[in-house]
Amino acid sequence: MGTAHETGTAPENANRVGEAPESELPATPGDGEVSVTEEGTELERTIGLGGGIAVGVGTMIGAGIFVFPGLAAGRAGPAAAGSFAIGAVIALLVALPASELATAMPKSGGGYYFISRALGALPGAVVGISIWLGLVFATAFYLVGFGNYAAAVLDEAGVAIGGVPVVVPLALLFGAFLTLLNVMGTENAAKLQSYVVGLLLTILVLFLGYGGLDAVGVFGTASTPERFMPFGPMPMFTTAALVFTSYLGFAQVATIAGDIQRPGRNLPLAMIGSVLVVGVLYVATIFVSTSAFGSARLAGFGETAIVEVARAFVGRFGAVAILLAGLLATVSSANASILSTSRAVFAVSRDALLPKFASRMNLRYGTPHVALSMAGGPVLVLVALGEVEVLAEVASFLHLVMYGLMCVALVAMRRDEPEWYDPNFRVPVYPLVAGLGGLSSFGLIAFMQPASQIIGLAIMAASAGWYKYYASNVALKGVI
Amino acid sequence: MADPSIREPPLVLVPVAVLEGQTIPEPLVEFLAPSDVVVLGYHVIPEQTPAEQASLQFEDRAQDAVEDIARVFREGEHDVETRVAFTHDRDRTVERVASDVGATAVALPNPTGEIRDVLVPLRGFVDVDRLADLVATLLAATDGRVTVWGLAAGGSDFDTRRAVDDAVATLTERGLPADRITGETSVVESPVRAIVERSGEFDAVVMGEGGESLFAALFGDEAERVAEGSVAPVLVVRKRLGE
Repeated sequence: MGTAHETGTAPENANRVGEAPESELPATPGDGEVSVTEEGTELERTIGLGGGIAVGVGTMIGAGIFVFPGLAAGRAGPAAAGSFAIGAVIALLVALPASELATAMPKSGGGYYFISRALGALPGAVVGISIWLGLVFATAFYLVGFGNYAAAVLDEAGVAIGGVPVVVPLALLFGAFLTLLNVMGTENAAKLQSYVVGLLLTILVLFLGYGGLDAVGVFGTASTPERFMPFGPMPMFTTAALVFTSYLGFAQVATIAGDIQRPGRNLPLAMIGSVLVVGVLYVATIFVSTSAFGSARLAGFGETAIVEVARAFVGRFGAVAILLAGLLATVSSANASILSTSRAVFAVSRDALLPKFASRMNLRYGTPHVALSMAGGPVLVLVALGEVEVLAEVASFLHLVMYGLMCVALVAMRRDEPEWYDPNFRVPVYPLVAGLGGLSSFGLIAFMQPASQIIGLAIMAASAGWYKYYASNVALKGVI
Repeated sequence: MADPSIREPPLVLVPVAVLEGQTIPEPLVEFLAPSDVVVLGYHVIPEQTPAEQASLQFEDRAQDAVEDIARVFREGEHDVETRVAFTHDRDRTVERVASDVGATAVALPNPTGEIRDVLVPLRGFVDVDRLADLVATLLAATDGRVTVWGLAAGGSDFDTRRAVDDAVATLTERGLPADRITGETSVVESPVRAIVERSGEFDAVVMGEGGESLFAALFGDEAERVAEGSVAPVLVVRKRLGE
């Protein structure tokens, strides 16, 4: 295809319009406080371990606690706790290989970067473009969650909305607002994110502590025990596929790898740490929620089920506290995802798989306005559809493909270790971890709804088609 | 050339917000000419922009601009090194580069005319040896004057008289004629405000970093507040590492 190029000559290592991948990637000297480009420019690494964990936890926590409990309990009963546990195990199995790859290649771009360098430009392009869209689906999902919480807040405040559906309009409005805010430059966004996550964790630990004690009968009577798997074991796995969206955030830590201090130490700690933190919280939330109400009633409450649980424990005050926490959590998830999307677009366009134009920065604000718009724009379209479960599953599908391929990339890297491959963190018994991680990632896809699988495959095929059309001469394997 | 009475030849770090068109006033360049200089061109980017992305687009421009500034400095006889950095956090970058190159002072540029009168406010611990090395080196070939001004907040136990005498003695030791040094002391309500108010009478301020305090964490450190408030350039003498 490349030889039949319109100009008659196929440019070496360049895309259809003649743009080549940028090769001036920064090297990182030993102390990990700064990267240095070929021309000697220093790039300060400014995000510490706390900031990295805040990105991971902040991205994940919105979905697992504030959107899924009702949906998941409706599908799997109390076994939804098992679904979340399965998700945590898979996420950990992938977080280990991802950590090794990230410490060997601490560059912006995360999973896309590892896969394109280890496996080549075609898998790289498929992952890079579909992870852009995967993040778009995830952001849309978080925004719909936000819309639900905002609507519930209005309801609680007694604002009459007269039966008009407000969830989607609120989500759209806020999505546009977040995109604009990021384009205009919010200088302390990352610090704010850390505070929001800290506040959230405090509220949740108090709530889950109280709820946990209540469930085992410390206050009043022990709550109704329910059969763990009212619908059998199968829904536990399909629900795991659905709720896996709650674990997508750890890989977002890798997309900011270029800005993290001491990446060799902080990247693995932030990725594995944030999965452990949210995994424990998710399982506890489901346990507490299904103990407070039967799973059928929980399902009836929908996306804001957790608010009703809080109301049952501590009355109106609890409900309001959790509502506010839900607003914060869904906002922080949506915002972190928009930022990751913009970084994903940058990484792909730097390698000439998308037009270079996409990584241009705005002179006035110093922000990547094109990439941010390529995140915010499609998100709004998807939000308008409002299909929470499909949005979540497609996001999971596209991420799981990347996770599976990251495990493959680890094996490829370890097989013939190139000279530059020198990770600070090495996965113990890597063939086992990477093998299980890859198998379970691809395996989980099998449990998804057919609609999500079809959309996911279509996006991957379209990405591959784009690569063949636009950038089939670009070579990335081993280009570091 | 090298004055034997100077113990530690000064090295001044000059951070410049290079893509925002910040420049170094000519008189400051001349004033700093006797010392070694490192010009740090930095560009602060918002957190949502990866540093890699910013450098991809602006690296050449930043390098050129820093080179232009360094060229002006190079007309003197001393060494000029350049550094270019993209960062989300200016203070962290300045601090890192300063300790990396072993800078004895950091210059916070403000517009100024010819530098003849230098204010050295003392308001607590400062590395007097470093300070004296710097001031004596910069003023050696000029007929500039120094005013050493000890300030204590009301109720503080800082012995201003002793600090001023000590600094004046050290400056003389480093070869600065005693008739060009004036010593004064004052008790004031807020040292920072007093320094800012008086800075108009002088062409440059040379001071220590000031300690870490809650106030500093909230409102920026004292030297920075002085630099922001005053019309004269400020040279901040750094503490020695490990102190």
